[in-house]
Amino acid sequence: MAERRALETRLVENQPYDESLDLPEAEEAGGAAGRPAGARSPRVGDAGRPRGSRRPGLPGAGGGAADPSSDEEGGGGKEEEAAAARSAPPAALSEDEEDDDDDSEEEDDSSETDSEDDSEEHGAALEGDFNLTDYDYLPVSSEIKELFEYIKRYTPKTIEIEHKLQPFIPDFIPAVGDIDAFLKVPRPDGKPDNLGLLVLDEPSTKQSDPTVLSLWLTENSKQHNVTQQIKVKSLENAEKNPKAIDSWIESISELHRCKPPATVHYTRPMPDIETLMQEWSPEFEELLGKVGLPTADMNCDLAEYIDMICAVLDIPVYKSRIQPLHVLFSLYSEFKNSQHFKPLAEGKKGRSPPSNPPSQAADAEALSFT
Amino acid sequence: MMLSRAKPAVGGTPPPGDRRRKKGKKVPQLEELLALRDFTGAIALLEFKRHVGEQEEDADLWIGYSAFHLGDYKRALEEYEALTKQPDCNPDVWVNLACTYFFLGMYTQAEQAALKAPKSRLQNRLLFHLAHKFSDEKKLMSSHQNLQDITEDQLSLASIHYMRSHYQEAIDIYKRILLDNREYLALNVYVALCYYKLDYYDVSQEVLAVYLQQVPDSTIALNLKACNHFRLYNGKAAEAELKNLTDSASSSFEFGKELIKHNLVVFRGGEGALQVLPPLVDVIPEARLNLVIYYLRQDDVQEAYNLIKDLEPTAPQEYILKGVVNAALGQEMGSRDHLKIAQQFFQLVGESASECDTIPGRQCMSSCFFLLRQFGNVLIYLNSVKSYFYNDDTFNFNYAQAKAAMGNFSEAEEVFLLIQSEKIKNDFVYLSWLARCYIMNKKPQLAWKLYLKMETSGESFNLLQLIANDCYKMRQFYYSAKAFDVLERLDSNPEYWEGKRGACVGVFQMILAGREAKETLREVLHLLKSTGNSQVEYIVRIMKKWAKENRVPV
Repeated sequence: MAERRALETRLVENQPYDESLDLPEAEEAGGAAGRPAGARSPRVGDAGRPRGSRRPGLPGAGGGAADPSSDEEGGGGKEEEAAAARSAPPAALSEDEEDDDDDSEEEDDSSETDSEDDSEEHGAALEGDFNLTDYDYLPVSSEIKELFEYIKRYTPKTIEIEHKLQPFIPDFIPAVGDIDAFLKVPRPDGKPDNLGLLVLDEPSTKQSDPTVLSLWLTENSKQHNVTQQIKVKSLENAEKNPKAIDSWIESISELHRCKPPATVHYTRPMPDIETLMQEWSPEFEELLGKVGLPTADMNCDLAEYIDMICAVLDIPVYKSRIQPLHVLFSLYSEFKNSQHFKPLAEGKKGRSPPSNPPSQAADAEALSFT
Repeated sequence: MMLSRAKPAVGGTPPPGDRRRKKGKKVPQLEELLALRDFTGAIALLEFKRHVGEQEEDADLWIGYSAFHLGDYKRALEEYEALTKQPDCNPDVWVNLACTYFFLGMYTQAEQAALKAPKSRLQNRLLFHLAHKFSDEKKLMSSHQNLQDITEDQLSLASIHYMRSHYQEAIDIYKRILLDNREYLALNVYVALCYYKLDYYDVSQEVLAVYLQQVPDSTIALNLKACNHFRLYNGKAAEAELKNLTDSASSSFEFGKELIKHNLVVFRGGEGALQVLPPLVDVIPEARLNLVIYYLRQDDVQEAYNLIKDLEPTAPQEYILKGVVNAALGQEMGSRDHLKIAQQFFQLVGESASECDTIPGRQCMSSCFFLLRQFGNVLIYLNSVKSYFYNDDTFNFNYAQAKAAMGNFSEAEEVFLLIQSEKIKNDFVYLSWLARCYIMNKKPQLAWKLYLKMETSGESFNLLQLIANDCYKMRQFYYSAKAFDVLERLDSNPEYWEGKRGACVGVFQMILAGREAKETLREVLHLLKSTGNSQVEYIVRIMKKWAKENRVPV
């Protein structure tokens, strides 16, 4: 307010320019010229602001229809400054705004409530209209006085400036959806499902994976040979969705864990694992201690390497290497899980067959088909 | 009603599906899946049974039911359509089919199917909503009269109230039903939705919490919570809420995906709008509006107009947006028609009972008065919301113009100078008003600087005229003379010479009055001499004579 007063004072200083009315611009600036000195202060600040300290939440005291001030409201819309805006009844789009402050509840309507009306309709009421005779008092020669007449000979034009409404662009609007209209399919057995009453009629966020569920159902039903066509969905942007992949792997391995252990029926005779786990002869053991088993770094291809290792381990290789490999990994798995050999293997490195990462054992398992 | 308590669906968190599978090898039963609202699972189970020939009774109906409540209306439609084609079809299927059409937005088909079904309360509710969709008041009234005082019918009526923005009426119905049925927890969410629409975000949160406590992973409720956070805090807080939702959902969960995608764009301030929103237009009502807002922010007014021109506004947001687009387009094209429409829409919203005390409502009223050039009123409305728009360029530009128009140049200048946007600062309207403020505030040199920074154009010529004349009025003759001097050189109109002559003599007078430095006389003489007019000689002579007498070097 102090600031505003200061402004007033300054404006009062300007008033001398207003004294004379015989100006060419008089009609246009008339409002400005005629107003009482000192009263001129554009009204600011006495318009009540919407209540509610927050963003658009300005629940309406005067709102009439929408006044949900019920028990739950918790004071949300109670603090009241009168909406001063209401005081300018916008219904009347005329210029009579003079009395519009009366119903403003603010106390400080003393000095600022006056006159914003007089110059309202005419763009800027230029303040500086001046009296060209102001300087007539100057003690100058008649020659110069005559020269001064030139000042009055030009009448400055009032330049209209355009106004441009910068339209306020609303915030983006989130969507909350509609309310359940009870246009819903009932249960075929006619029992109440209470959807939309006890709980919202929406699926739970935990939905079964239909593929996994079908596999489970197949597994559990007696009819193992049902050749059901299971749709396996694919995952878009898989790299961005590790969660989905993890949960798929988890549920499939869960499924496998619950299955009876896979048995492979070898087409050719194979030694049983127990036999293969027997100790080697001491000489061989001694030799191994010196030279070690051939490692995967050997300069040979994978097939040859498989043949070699299987030969060392007494696993026969026939035409296909798949079954011997199965025997090999079963053997590895047996050693790995054995209470007896596990500490042994951990103690001495290099005793067991060259490092096959344990995951391969799992892979081997995955290969097994019923 | 106590019967309903037998349903385990509500009691706390449903056990997560994973655990069930880890422990039990047991195959889930249909009832269990339905109770968990695991409709995907239910469909998989039913399909499996159908496949292996363990056909249960009404398996097709159950699949339809599950697909419907899963929100997979296309799937439900397949089932029901197939059923209605069978010769021994139960006539009740028709109303199911009709419901499904309704949710697919195929309202004509929905009505046809509904009319084939035997009379039922569901059928009446459906016809009631269809009448609303068709805006058929007559049918609406007749279905309305057939509604009974039973929960479902009343809830259906409340939903119509909500769609017609009669939120208080809807709340009244919900509260009445809740009074007798505290266990109907879902109604709390409906009430929260109404409060959200009424801008009572705090209250909405409170009511919503009741439901979320029981069903913490509800999609609808969490989305509403996110929206409340968006309104109460910001997009980041809102996005965090949505993240909770997407994190907890299993990958086969599709329900509400479009809504969430849409809201993510909103919460991220329009990021990805052009990818996400266009396909959602007319699916999610807000999508079109948001796309319009996006285009407005990109200054693509024409595109915004194309999107909204055929929209028949019903909600305040729609009126506001139509007003904004018409205002922008009207000013861009200089079309009075568009401006008139804009002003009317703004007035309609700003005067409405529901919006007159909201910030957007106040913005509307101020815009309305701005377009009517009633700046006193503009100021009343802008002042009432000023504190919400500190440092908002749009607000400040309008505010400063209104202040200047009302003659409060010193505050206008202050506000103009707060504006950061380069686009506004280069706008000729901005430059001319700021120049006028400078002059009125006795800083003509700053106005002159504004001119100097402009490139020569029609606009810079107009600014010169403004400076020349306003300065003249304010007895700032020196800058007036400079401006007239340039004007005279650009255009031989004798008027400019008259202005320059007056201004130069004016400077002389100010020197004599001791209000201008004597040294300025030299420059004045220089300005005068650049004009080839016979009067120059005479004026220069008198000035020089005075200078000589007063020992002023020239």
